[in-house]
Amino acid sequence: MFQPMVDALRKQQGVDDWLVRQIGTASTQYYVIGDRIENSRTVSSQKTVITVMNDHHAPEGTMRGEAQVTVVPSDLPHLGDKLEQAVFMAGVTDNPIYGLPGPCKYPAVEVADAEMRSDPRAVAERLVHELLTTLHDEHGVRLSSAEVFVDNHEVTIRNSRGVEGSAVDTRLLLDFVLLASSEDEEMESHIAFERRRASDLDVPAMARRQAQYARDAVVAGTPRTGTFAVVVSDDALVELLMSEGYSPLILRSAAQMKYQKLSPWEPGATILSAAAIGDPFTMYSNALLPYGVRSGSFDSEGLPAQRVLIVDRGVLNRFWASLRHAEYLHIPPTGRFGNMELALGSVTYDDLLESDETLYHIVAFSAMSPDPITGDFVGEIRLGYEVEKGRRRPIRGGSISGNLFEVLAEVHLSREEAFLGNYRGPRAAMFPRITVAGD
Amino acid sequence: MNVSELLPELRGAGRILPALVAEVEKKAPYASVFLERIGGLQVVVNHREQNVTEIPLSQGIVLSAWNGAWFEEVASSDLTPDHIVGVANRLADSVQVLPGGSIDPGPTREGHFDTAFEMDPRSLSAEEKLEMCRQLHSTASALDARIVNVTVRYLERLESKAFVNRAEQLSQNVMRLRMSVQMFVSDGQQLQYDWVSKDATGGLELIRIRDEELRELCDHALSLLTAEKVPPGMYDVVCSPDVSGVIAHEAFGHGVELDMFLKGRARSEQYLGEVIASPLVDILDDPSYEHGHGSYFFDDEGQLASPTYIIRNGVFERGISDLSSAHSLGVARSANGRRESFEHKIYTRMSNTFFGRGHTPVRDMIASVDHGVYLQHSSSGMEDPKGWGMQVTSHYGEEIRNGKLTGRIFAPIGITGYVPDILQSVSAVGEDFALSGGTCGKGHKEWVPVSSGGPHLKLKARLG
Repeated sequence: MFQPMVDALRKQQGVDDWLVRQIGTASTQYYVIGDRIENSRTVSSQKTVITVMNDHHAPEGTMRGEAQVTVVPSDLPHLGDKLEQAVFMAGVTDNPIYGLPGPCKYPAVEVADAEMRSDPRAVAERLVHELLTTLHDEHGVRLSSAEVFVDNHEVTIRNSRGVEGSAVDTRLLLDFVLLASSEDEEMESHIAFERRRASDLDVPAMARRQAQYARDAVVAGTPRTGTFAVVVSDDALVELLMSEGYSPLILRSAAQMKYQKLSPWEPGATILSAAAIGDPFTMYSNALLPYGVRSGSFDSEGLPAQRVLIVDRGVLNRFWASLRHAEYLHIPPTGRFGNMELALGSVTYDDLLESDETLYHIVAFSAMSPDPITGDFVGEIRLGYEVEKGRRRPIRGGSISGNLFEVLAEVHLSREEAFLGNYRGPRAAMFPRITVAGD
Repeated sequence: MNVSELLPELRGAGRILPALVAEVEKKAPYASVFLERIGGLQVVVNHREQNVTEIPLSQGIVLSAWNGAWFEEVASSDLTPDHIVGVANRLADSVQVLPGGSIDPGPTREGHFDTAFEMDPRSLSAEEKLEMCRQLHSTASALDARIVNVTVRYLERLESKAFVNRAEQLSQNVMRLRMSVQMFVSDGQQLQYDWVSKDATGGLELIRIRDEELRELCDHALSLLTAEKVPPGMYDVVCSPDVSGVIAHEAFGHGVELDMFLKGRARSEQYLGEVIASPLVDILDDPSYEHGHGSYFFDDEGQLASPTYIIRNGVFERGISDLSSAHSLGVARSANGRRESFEHKIYTRMSNTFFGRGHTPVRDMIASVDHGVYLQHSSSGMEDPKGWGMQVTSHYGEEIRNGKLTGRIFAPIGITGYVPDILQSVSAVGEDFALSGGTCGKGHKEWVPVSSGGPHLKLKARLG
């Protein structure tokens, strides 16, 4: 299906540049409720995304427009019509001229799990078996439901400037919910893990941890209202910093946001809203991280993967940029933001949780999505602990709020490292002053 | 179902859907086929860039076989008849039938449904739609010197779907539209923003954004430059329809999805038939609501759309369901079996979820509050069906003192609480009504178009 498209693009009038990405996905999906199967699915999908660029005259000079069309196998007889439609759409928009990446040697990045490629169903069944076996020994806890997706992707890319690349990757999603009961109360703990390879998931350890969280949720009280030191750890910390890709840290460091005047950040200037008095905050975009969920040899534009220093000790080092926005800002391109990698801190995990005053340790939010523009955040506490004079009391409900760029100025980061799919960095962060709304 | 009513790309596969069902049912007690093509157009205009492009296309087929205990499904993007016949043969061969019997395929039905328009968006060219966005952008940008960017986004999504089992042959073309304007303002120190959007199933006449609405948008965005943090605590609040809707959606939408009952994840299960809210409260889910952004004619399992009263006069009457959960629980189905696309499984999902209308004028609600907050614009929400916690974030709110809005703005505002406490605290329900559209995930995935809303509500909630 690939070559006919390239041939058609070369012949199509009005196409000044083009990019073709062919994406094949094979997904094995396995769902259980308790210890019985709920659903079992296999999905195969093939599609080709064609981007065409059209250069045309406008009052401001020569301008470029681009448009994307998706071609599935049944569209092939009408490929000419699709390309004409794309050229028309590209022809009506006026953007300053920009280029496309040229040919280059892509770095090898480990993103495929041989076992997931060869027998995805066996991986899915094994993970569920490990989950059920572990929970068998966890008192007062049972499996509500679990979902396992084992995906294999094949991506091929070519453009009009000579880029040619292909890559294979795997992706695993394990989502499960545990229920814990007491005489008059039942509560749940819910978690979803995304990884590139199965061996990066220690299912028994995760199941034991979540089982404890479920038991603690049953007896949890409510936090107090006031300003407290708050420790956020593991998956909750990633949620606070990454926000499923809409992180203000990622968006404010994007060249596109700078170009659109939506990022106040400047290279060489602090990103923090207050004087830095905590651990230095250093952030990389790392698309080379082995088995990182956001790793890959090349991005969707065809730029090679890199590890790029974005924030150096609280100061913006550079924006991450597509080629288009790099050219607009006259900066080097980096490719899309990869995995978030943070420099480790100076304090041990245990020491972060030591305090003479009341401290809250949050392990799960209901949802934590800091505002991508302002950095303001409010998040309900799904589960946490009130730590006071060495005693830990489970809490849930209430919320924490603040501004990410203010609280990062005071942050203390753990010395211990965690790899959590799209994140490698400190396992926990302690923010000395956070507003808690509770009882 | 008349195959000629389907989009041309689906007709070849559409002709053989009944034969595929028959092939799989040679062995499986129940089978169905779902066919879809979801595509459309997006136009974006802001200060620095413009874009007109197709939205990512999703096209494929799902063959489902009930083996007596669970569904086995095969899905593929390849719609060539030879390929899908082969898929059906292999599925029939592989099904291991278990005790448990068949599933009721529902009454015999055949039909095709199309979204009605006054102004069909396909009657305008991409260039004309771009011009429509440029004009909105130009008008909005001229409103104040502190505007640093305005993003106008037009989204047109055509969902063409067919569902066939041994009793039903249904097809539908549903057009969902959305127009939004996001305005960014700065005082040189900080950046703030607000947005206005219109959405519908229907024609372009339903998504016009008026000049007065742009002016209000600008005023709100500028007011955020002086916003304060709300002092944490319990407040009397008046919720706009937008915020009311997210409360309905998160509190008693997700919490009554019957697939959550099967998993033991819904606390509401224990309260069926009981008083759960103030007697002023009705909550409904209605996929047949005219022009709702979450509307459709039948769900992805062939159940015709109709309203479900979830709460009536404060009493929890029933939940919403997909086929599998209704079958397993032995309850009547509602038309809420939906999938993100052919690549995803069916779950119980909401459509248009809202509080029923009441009788209190909004001004009377505000006048009745000594010290509280008017919550004006929701930005996100998250469900907790087991713990019955609730998180809704309001982009901003305005202080109420002695029955009057003071102009003091708080932003953002987190609204949390125990669902029954919040619903039982409702002391007034407005005479107005509005729905806001968006997309809804189940947990953190499985996105489908929905809307939520209702009237203004007066209630008590913890803000922070």
